[in-house]
Amino acid sequence: MKPKAATIFTAYLLLAPALVLMLVFTFYPVLYGAYLGFTKYTAANLGSNTPPTWIGLENFRTVLSDELFRIGLVNSLKYLIIVPILQIASLAVAVLVNKQLPGMAFFRAAYYIPVITSISLAAVMWDWVFTREGLLNWLLEFFKIIDPSGSFGWLLNPNTALWAIMLVTFWRGFGYYMVLYLGGLQSIPSELEEAALLDGANAWQRFWKITVPLMRPTILLCSLLSSLAAIRVLEEILVFTNGGPLNSTYTVLMYVYQKSFGLDFDYGVASAAGLLLAVVGFVLSYINFRITREDPPKREAKA
Amino acid sequence: MKTAPVKLIGVAANYLVLSLIALFAIFPFLWTLAISITDKTVASGVSIFDFPQSLFPKAITFNNFFEVYRVFGLEKYLLNSIIISSLTVIGTLVVSAMAAYPLSKMTFPGRDLIFGAMLATLVLPSETNFIVNVLSLNKMGLLGTYWGVVIPTIATAFGIFVMRQTYVAVPDSLLEAARMDGATEFQILWRIMVPLSRPALTALGIFTLVNTWNSYFWPSVALLGADNLQPLSVAMLKLKGQFNHDSFNVAAGAMIMMIPVLVVFIAAQRLFMRGLEGAVK
Amino acid sequence: MKKRWLLLASAFGALSMAALAQNKVQIEFWSWYLSPKFDPYLLGVIGEFQKANPNIEVKLVDKQDTMERDLQAAIALGKSPDVVNLWQDATAAAAQNNLLAPINDLTPMNQLQAQFWNNTLGMFIVDGKNYGYPWYGWTDQGVMAYNSEVLKKAGITKVPTTIGELLTASKLIKQRTGSYGWLPPVKDPNGASFLGQFYLEGLPLFANGKAAFNSGKHVALLQKFIDLMKGDFIPQDLLRKEAFQLNNEYYSQGKSAFIVGGAQALVRVKDANKDIYSKTKVVPAPLGAGGVQTGGSMSLVIPKASKNQKEAALFAMFMTNNKAQVQFAKLAGIVPTTKGAENDPDLKAANPNDALDVATSLVSGTGRFITPGWNPPKNTDAVYKNFNDNIEAAFLGAKTARQALSDAVAFWNANAK
Repeated sequence: MKPKAATIFTAYLLLAPALVLMLVFTFYPVLYGAYLGFTKYTAANLGSNTPPTWIGLENFRTVLSDELFRIGLVNSLKYLIIVPILQIASLAVAVLVNKQLPGMAFFRAAYYIPVITSISLAAVMWDWVFTREGLLNWLLEFFKIIDPSGSFGWLLNPNTALWAIMLVTFWRGFGYYMVLYLGGLQSIPSELEEAALLDGANAWQRFWKITVPLMRPTILLCSLLSSLAAIRVLEEILVFTNGGPLNSTYTVLMYVYQKSFGLDFDYGVASAAGLLLAVVGFVLSYINFRITREDPPKREAKA
Repeated sequence: MKTAPVKLIGVAANYLVLSLIALFAIFPFLWTLAISITDKTVASGVSIFDFPQSLFPKAITFNNFFEVYRVFGLEKYLLNSIIISSLTVIGTLVVSAMAAYPLSKMTFPGRDLIFGAMLATLVLPSETNFIVNVLSLNKMGLLGTYWGVVIPTIATAFGIFVMRQTYVAVPDSLLEAARMDGATEFQILWRIMVPLSRPALTALGIFTLVNTWNSYFWPSVALLGADNLQPLSVAMLKLKGQFNHDSFNVAAGAMIMMIPVLVVFIAAQRLFMRGLEGAVK
Repeated sequence: MKKRWLLLASAFGALSMAALAQNKVQIEFWSWYLSPKFDPYLLGVIGEFQKANPNIEVKLVDKQDTMERDLQAAIALGKSPDVVNLWQDATAAAAQNNLLAPINDLTPMNQLQAQFWNNTLGMFIVDGKNYGYPWYGWTDQGVMAYNSEVLKKAGITKVPTTIGELLTASKLIKQRTGSYGWLPPVKDPNGASFLGQFYLEGLPLFANGKAAFNSGKHVALLQKFIDLMKGDFIPQDLLRKEAFQLNNEYYSQGKSAFIVGGAQALVRVKDANKDIYSKTKVVPAPLGAGGVQTGGSMSLVIPKASKNQKEAALFAMFMTNNKAQVQFAKLAGIVPTTKGAENDPDLKAANPNDALDVATSLVSGTGRFITPGWNPPKNTDAVYKNFNDNIEAAFLGAKTARQALSDAVAFWNANAK
């Protein structure tokens, strides 16, 4: 069925403010940034007031032949492991605090606190958790999981540093996604839950049969945002390890950051690295959309 | 049917789990709070990095807060932050709620292209955005104004994406019924979609608030030359200088930054959690 | 009618503005992380400058974290500040990229040499031209503060006077008390700190303009530090965090016995732990076999895009003059980079019982000694990162000390062009 002209008009009218603003302040700079990936544009251009010059794929060759970029890419991809863990935990927590029990307002607020805690403050505390004499080793020794003689600083061991930082990402993220999931859960009509309860479904069945299917759009949203955030992780790395030890936490965004920061920047190379990472991002988005399909054909036919 | 004691154990276990997660979540907050109310004039012999002793201050005071407030003249910055954050939150909510509707519930040529392009901006490199946007603002004469900080940040792929996913979950039958009754698309958006997505709108509002409230890089650039309009976050950076470094004041400053957002979050929970059965029926 | 009046008024306005501009120039000065604590000081100096130069008005803006990007944006907009407070690496990067005006063109060399020590001027020379007016400085060695209680507990009666003795004492302290002794910088996140250790021991870094820090002596020195870390006589955290920060943290918890550095390090100890501060004694810092110190200074630079370079140069000279820097030293424990400060009576008066006062008086006259030891290479970020990665690999046992240093030298000579 062909949409009516009036519908098209209304649609674009509603989209207009967003489109105009995004054209000027998002699309234009992003496209310009992408264009820079094919040019030579460094601090020297700013100094001599000369525009970027087109150099084709030169920057991409530079980036791809740089071992640091390859290390960064591997670490960024490794970081994706956090996504399913974080999403399942956030959804579970959201279900837990969605109950009509006393004190839930407190727990919701408490879980949101990491989101608003500045990373530099959090870093001090997490340092204390991860050092050799820290809380984590103390707990592990207390439960006899590790032997005190073999203890080490978690951020100083090339085999554990990335995982330790992922734990911080988890800490900062679960309250954030919990809020998004709560938003979704609140839109599930309670009649459905009640009906299932009458049918004798237990909590586990209700979760998988009702909550998860109805929450699909939100799950897609969250897992996509979380995947993109994972491959673009930067802040945590900067405050904890700066990419070390032995580059085991060096990510692509660290590479981009180091190339674009300070008064010796090379935006051409930084943009090229960013574009290569974007390719990964597009693939991830596609996979996410495929896994959590929303059955668009049916809906389109109806509208 | 479950018996009463079993149920009670279930509830207790529930609370135990919730409390453990809460402890995991808030321990840095507790430490910051403890430092911020520690009386630094009392010689304690305990450094702030001494865990866990520093979590239990020997003498309590609010002087650190007053000192930070007075030294930095925070009222001016606080007002700037409130203005910038409110404008940004309102702008983001309006723009996103409007744009998400056609992208989720209407069919028109270009829809998928537009949505795809918006999503692409989440992935593409954005390191140079600030410089391009500053040049644009300068041409528009908005550099160094509140609007210059706000306008470039209100239309975001993130906001539109959040709202679209919420709208997608609304059953089409509701809209069909309204259309049968002769409602216009604007009426459907305002009377059905917006009330139904209130939790998501609240969530988006809180996220936007947190982001705007804490961001310091963009405001510092967009307000070049207008130092009297700088928000709190920019002023707070000054706490960390090599010579200014006073951990107690840094902690108090952090609390000053966090508490308003926390209060808003707690207040917003009501909007967020109220049942929606009435609207769905 | 109204329109015509407006036109006339604005024409008149423009005229008078132009007239005003002829005798009153406004320049913008960006300081770095000094507000609000030093606002009164900075505004005081600015006030004196304006009194001496009634045709120039100075606007003070303090930048923090965002300094480099704000500067980038301001230059792109054509709204460049006129005088900017940078540091050595940033000055070099900005000068190499043609963002700064050479100050030789603005202030005659003899005036610069009359005001500043040559070593401090030399820190900001790029390709033979001066780019920075040396501002407040510091020494990395300067003074040594020690926790007298810990030393007593460890049974150390002679306070170390060389780096060798300091490392030996550190070992003893760790064995006897469990506290660390000294936390030497081996791999700070910024810069290339281990080069400093070579420099202090008098080992050459370069030969014929090429990196040459891979001789047997260099390897042995690195190995000595590696062994210290292996034995846990210096903490492994030194690979991850700035030594300055760690020293402060450990010292003010009573977990380390010495702090070596400028007087400003003690300011934080005083804030963090009054008890330990009261047990702190200060002596001149031990030196290595080279008998040299390292240190650095801030710079005031003039962006090439500044429209008032002449006035900017006048102001930069004024802000960095001896009188102003001595005043600053009294407030902040910095080291003036100016000639004459070493004899200033104001910086001699010390309360012998206050650690900070003693420290300030010890370091304030050392401006003529401060030197970073070497100038940052071109392609600084990449070269330093590679150097630090190699040092880290050696400490973590992924490479031998010899291998790490020869890899670092090879990369340095291939990339620092």
